[in-house]
Amino acid sequence: MPLEISLSTLVQIVIWGLINGCIYVLLASGLNLIFGVMKVVNFAHGEFMILGGYVSYWVSIYAGLNPYFSIFVSIGVIGIVGVLTERVCFRRVLGTSKLNEIVLSLGLIYVLQNAMSVLWTDKERQISSPFEFITVHFEIININMRLDLLIVIGVTVLIMAGFYILIKRTKIGRAIRATSQNRSAAMLMGINVEYMDMFSFGLGTALAATAGTLLAILFPALYPQAGAMPALKAFTIIVLGGLGSTIGAIVGGLAYGLAESSAIAILGGTWRDAIAFAILILVLVIRPTGLFGEKEA
Amino acid sequence: MKKRTQLILAVAIIAIIAVSIAAYYYLTVPPERTIKIGLVASLTGPGSAEGADMQRAAILAVEEINAAGGVYVSEYGRNLTVTLEIGDDKTKPADGVIAVEELIKSKNVDVLVGGLSSSVTLASQVPAIDNNVPFVITGASTPQVTRRTDKNTSYMFHYCTIIDDYSETIVKFLNHTVRPTLIDEGRMDPERNLRLAMLVRNDAYGIGCYDTTVRFINDLGLPIEIVEYQKFEPGATDFTTQLTLIQAAKPDAVYHAGLTAESSNLVKQGLQNVGLKTIYIAVEVCQTPQFYEILGSWGDYQILESKFGSKAASYSDAVDTYIANYMQRWKDAQGNPIIPGMMGADTYDAIYLICKAIENAGTLDKAKIRDEIENIEMDQMLIMMKNGMIWFDQNHEIDPISFIEQMTWNSTTSQLTTYIVYPDSLKQRDFELPPDYENEYS
Repeated sequence: MPLEISLSTLVQIVIWGLINGCIYVLLASGLNLIFGVMKVVNFAHGEFMILGGYVSYWVSIYAGLNPYFSIFVSIGVIGIVGVLTERVCFRRVLGTSKLNEIVLSLGLIYVLQNAMSVLWTDKERQISSPFEFITVHFEIININMRLDLLIVIGVTVLIMAGFYILIKRTKIGRAIRATSQNRSAAMLMGINVEYMDMFSFGLGTALAATAGTLLAILFPALYPQAGAMPALKAFTIIVLGGLGSTIGAIVGGLAYGLAESSAIAILGGTWRDAIAFAILILVLVIRPTGLFGEKEA
Repeated sequence: MKKRTQLILAVAIIAIIAVSIAAYYYLTVPPERTIKIGLVASLTGPGSAEGADMQRAAILAVEEINAAGGVYVSEYGRNLTVTLEIGDDKTKPADGVIAVEELIKSKNVDVLVGGLSSSVTLASQVPAIDNNVPFVITGASTPQVTRRTDKNTSYMFHYCTIIDDYSETIVKFLNHTVRPTLIDEGRMDPERNLRLAMLVRNDAYGIGCYDTTVRFINDLGLPIEIVEYQKFEPGATDFTTQLTLIQAAKPDAVYHAGLTAESSNLVKQGLQNVGLKTIYIAVEVCQTPQFYEILGSWGDYQILESKFGSKAASYSDAVDTYIANYMQRWKDAQGNPIIPGMMGADTYDAIYLICKAIENAGTLDKAKIRDEIENIEMDQMLIMMKNGMIWFDQNHEIDPISFIEQMTWNSTTSQLTTYIVYPDSLKQRDFELPPDYENEYS
């Protein structure tokens, strides 16, 4: 088919890219935080995202809570699950061997997936939004947008602003950054790095839970095995943005979302997931430190 | 005790044990022979909705057959009961191969039935082909399952509609019904072609739907043109970008080929997220309870090509009885009524035809069962056939009647119902455009 895209179509494609990008930003920021502080590659991060979506799904169904408010419950529950996971699992193997950490997080994938299968079956689910039938018209670009899409953008901005302030403007944020930059020096300065590990892991999984809830409001993407591909994309994003960089995760997430929708528009829908690997290879070849990563001394 | 006495005692004990073992083997009745039917279904993964329906229908058919006394097999001189062994292909080719191998080698099934996704069945049928196990395929729609040239498919039978049938019915419906409606309502210039967009799964089934559509449009010389063609990966949940591109092409209708979850979600996203207010035509693969459940009110006025109308107004006594029995059976088991789907109906019919073939063969010899399936001639059951009879042609395919249903949302019951709108011989009401329908003339 000849590629003739009008302005409104182009704007819509950009919007779809940014909306997916919002989900990726939340997911990648959590993964980046965990990696930055603990230097642990948590392959099970996508499963925490889906688990977060399921918690919101349950809360919105059984407690009748608006799904956007159920995010707070999900953040709390998955944050605690994350803290326990760090305390019970990762702390035991931290510093032993990278292989142990990898095997542990790969094992967690299967444990979490099977637990979710038992609790919620393999059926695809979607969180029902009270704003499902409401659309907003933008006269200038002549497009209608579902209200939920705008709310997802708004929630992401709020959560990421809060996260940024926490990391950059608070005492605990400074401690997290110090631990991330130099673990030994942080310890010598009196920072309890084990507490920082626990807090970062909990916060990282809580961000994943937010991503899972928003994803499940927009798409029927809630099934136990659904976390694998988003987690892989989150890895690509943190490599693209630069390992450990918060701004890198935000820019990388949005850029990845745009790249994905552009790939579908230009190359076709079959390129949707392949683009992750293409970007990963390109970044590793051209700029291994990513967009905002710093070269090691 | 003297050594000699000890020896005699030991020999006596060994002898008693040996005699007891021999007596056990001679006197114990061997386990009763049953007819073992292996069901290959997708119980997990993207095809789980269709797979669950196939499983429920197969269980119902086996229960009915056993309740009626089983199947007379002359070689045994009595009626044998039927047992169902189930293998989950997980909607993945590799797992499909494992499931079929296990059914053949561990469960020793006599015949196989089922097979949902085309790509999965093309892989999972290989162990059945290699081991000469008759396989009546009731889900996969690619004709390749009985026509492939790299393997001997003489033990493969296809008891469902093939991709060619979907596309032929849909393009004829578009030309016979949709195009005149658009012209009558002033939504289309009579001189121009009907603008069709296609959004399909990137596999043998989806691409096959596109290829056959193009072929039928050309072969029949229909005034239809495909203005946009988009694909998605199996298991996709986000279709917004593809739908945005389709919207830009201003189609009169969208023909989409996905599994239940994919197709229902893409319709919902098209209407809800993208604002593409058109006619969405799904194929019969989606004739499952989950399709209607996901769509909800978004399914109002939308279209489904099918050959089994579980939600349609009454059109066949056999179908009415089956729907009532099926719903009661699963209400008793699971507490709430479950609506039957089309692939379950195929599977239900196939189990009856397999049992008939075994009865005709009078043996459980696989080669003789194969021969009897090949030569089967019995009255149609749930799936309507063009000559009213179940029989297989030279390609081991059936000749079913497919039709087009239009869905209607009942706000009182919060349920979707359907009416047959094509062909005229089965029509229950006229096709109607959705009230908010938009195309290039809107």
